[in-house]
Amino acid sequence: MGLMDMPVFSALSDKMRWHQTRQGLLAENVANAETPGYRGRDLAQYNFADRLQAMSSASVSTTATQPMHFSISSGDGAIGAQTMANFELTPEGNGITLEDEMMKVTTNMMDYQAATSLYQKSVRILRVAMGKNV
Amino acid sequence: MDFNSSLRIAATGMHAQTARMRVIAENIANADSAGKAPGDEPYRRRVPTFQSHFDAEVGGRVVEIGKLANDMSDFTSRYEPGHPAADESGYVQYPNVNTLIETVDMREAQRSYEANLNVVTVTRQMLGRTLDLLRG
Repeated sequence: MGLMDMPVFSALSDKMRWHQTRQGLLAENVANAETPGYRGRDLAQYNFADRLQAMSSASVSTTATQPMHFSISSGDGAIGAQTMANFELTPEGNGITLEDEMMKVTTNMMDYQAATSLYQKSVRILRVAMGKNV
Repeated sequence: MDFNSSLRIAATGMHAQTARMRVIAENIANADSAGKAPGDEPYRRRVPTFQSHFDAEVGGRVVEIGKLANDMSDFTSRYEPGHPAADESGYVQYPNVNTLIETVDMREAQRSYEANLNVVTVTRQMLGRTLDLLRG
C-alpha cells in the first residue's frame, strides 16, 4: 500500500496541488495587472467533498497530438480556472487590484503551509506507529 | 501549473516593469530636449504598452512589453528668443513630457515590480515547504 493510497495523504496532496495552481493564476494576475483587456482569474473555493468525487471517479482523458492542443482530463482531478467576478474595474479594463492579489497570495501561502504541516504530522504519526523515535 | 511556472510568470512581470522603467527614464532624461534649429521637432514622449499572451512552455499567461507608442499630444512652447531653435516670434517647442506624470508612472512601475517580487518570495517559501516534506 503506497502512501498515496491513504485517504489523508491523497486529500492533502490534492489540496496542495490546488494551492499550487492557484499560486500560478495569482502570479498571472499580478504580472498582468496593467495589461489592458486582461481579465483576472482565480479558482473556485476548495471543497473537500466535491474534490473527493473528482479524485475517485473514472476518468476519460484527451490526448494532445499537437503543441497547440490542451490536454484536458476531467476525472484527473483537473482544477479549472474561472474569471473573477470583481465589481471594480481599473482604468486598464481589468479587474485586478494589487492589494487584493497580495492578500490572496499570502492567504494561499498560509493555507498551503497548513496543508504541508498536516502532511508532515501525518507522516510523523506513521513513524510513531512504526515504533520509530520521532 | 507548478511553482516554477509561477516564478517564471512573475519574472516576466518584473521584466516588463523594468522595460517600462527604461522608457520612463528616457522620457524624463529628454524632458528638455528641444530641436537644434527652428522648425525641428523636439523629443516626443513615448508610452509603453503591455500585452499578455499564453506561453505554452510556461503554461500560463505571461506579460510582455508591446510596441512603444508615441504620445501625439501637443508640444509645449516657451518664450526663449535667445535659443537657437526659437522661431520668428521667439518661441521654442519643448517635448510633451510632464515630469509629474512620469514620476507617478515610475511609482506605479515600482509598486508593480514589488508586487511581482513578493509573488516570487512567497512562491519560494511554498517551494521550501514542499522540500521540507522530504525531511519528514
